Parts: sequence; C-alpha cells; structure tokens
Amino acid sequence: MAQFRAKKLDLGCFVNARVIRDHTKRKVFEQFEPQRQALRYIIRNTTLPQRTRAQAQLQLSQMHCYTNPTQIKNRCIMGGKGRWVIRDFRMARYQFRLNALEGNIPGVKKASW
Amino acid sequence: MAVARSRVLDLMKVQCRIFNTTFNPDRLRTGNKILRQRLRGPTLAQYYPRRVVTIGDLRKAYPDYEVWDEKEEERLEHVGMLKAKGKGPPKKKKTAEESKKFAGKKKR
Repeated sequence: MAQFRAKKLDLGCFVNARVIRDHTKRKVFEQFEPQRQALRYIIRNTTLPQRTRAQAQLQLSQMHCYTNPTQIKNRCIMGGKGRWVIRDFRMARYQFRLNALEGNIPGVKKASW
Repeated sequence: MAVARSRVLDLMKVQCRIFNTTFNPDRLRTGNKILRQRLRGPTLAQYYPRRVVTIGDLRKAYPDYEVWDEKEEERLEHVGMLKAKGKGPPKKKKTAEESKKFAGKKKR
C-alpha cells in the first residue's frame, strides 16, 4: 500500500511494481514483527484471562495484511519473476542459467555425466 | 526404585536455573515458545540488494568535474546517428491544427 512505500527507491536490483511491493512488505513486516509476536504470545498464553486473549486475537487479525509474513514472496533479483526462484541464488531458473554460464556466480559450473 | 516427586521437581528446578529455561512443572501453555523465537524481519528485509552510488549521483555531487558515462555516451551517439538519417522523433506539434492534420486519414 502507498502509505508504507518508501518515498525514495532504495533498490539496486531489477525493479518493477511487484518487486517494489514485495520489498515494501518485507520492510513493513520487519517494523511490526515485535508487535505481532507480542500479540501471538498473549494469544498462546493460557494463564491469561480469556477476554484479554480474545482481544489480542482480534487485534492481530485486524492488523494490516502487509505486516503478515505470509505476504512475502521471494522474487528474482535479476528479472523480478516470482516462480521457480532458486533461494540460494535469489534468481529464477533462466537468469540463474544465464549468469552461471557467464561465470557470474562463484562456485557454479556446468556439469555433465 | 521409585524417586519421590519432590526430588524430581528439585532436579527440574536446578536444570531450569542452569540452562536458563522457565520452570513449568504443570506443563501449562504459557506461550514461551513465541518469546524464544528469533525475529525474522532483519533477514527477510535484506533480501533485495540495495541501491549503490551511480554515475548520475556522482555528477550531481560534483557538478564541476566531468564524469565519463560510457552507456550514456553510446546512447547519445546512437540517437545522433538516427537523427542524421532522418529517423529521429517527430517535432512537437505547436497548434491544434497541425496535430489534427493526419487525424482523418486513418479511417478505412
């Protein structure tokens, strides 16, 4: 959402709307994580009064969806793709292949057997 | 040989003190596992590489110095060649009449 987005772009990789959105979600999640964890703690703690726990549940469910870690998706840093992204290299399969063949990724080489 | 419950509880208490865990003999759900979790935010937020200084930034910071920008020079050369061939962008239309010159002709 626009209220969370940084005024100035601080990304150095491939940029498109989806990458910016995902980046914003990551930063918002980082900011709100302590609050979320505190609410989660209250919810899981059975020694607290039931009313408090229910209120915490409500509050957690009413937080903005950008504060939710499940909204975050790993995207390709070279092409912004969201599918088939290899986590170790943060690249989608085709960009990984191109960069590996070019020798840009240390320790990766083509094998054949 | 059965050991008295109070002895076992004492042992647990000492264990908890040594390993710095919470003593919870009744096994109540206190949600401590949430508090033990590490915060994932910083690692998740680091995923995309951040902006580094570009040639444009250098130029802005030191306007007195000349900074060689190879890509920009190449682009300008390319555009210059296209213009010389007469393949450049069309002139901006000044009046409404000029811009409507070809408006009617496109219909077939």
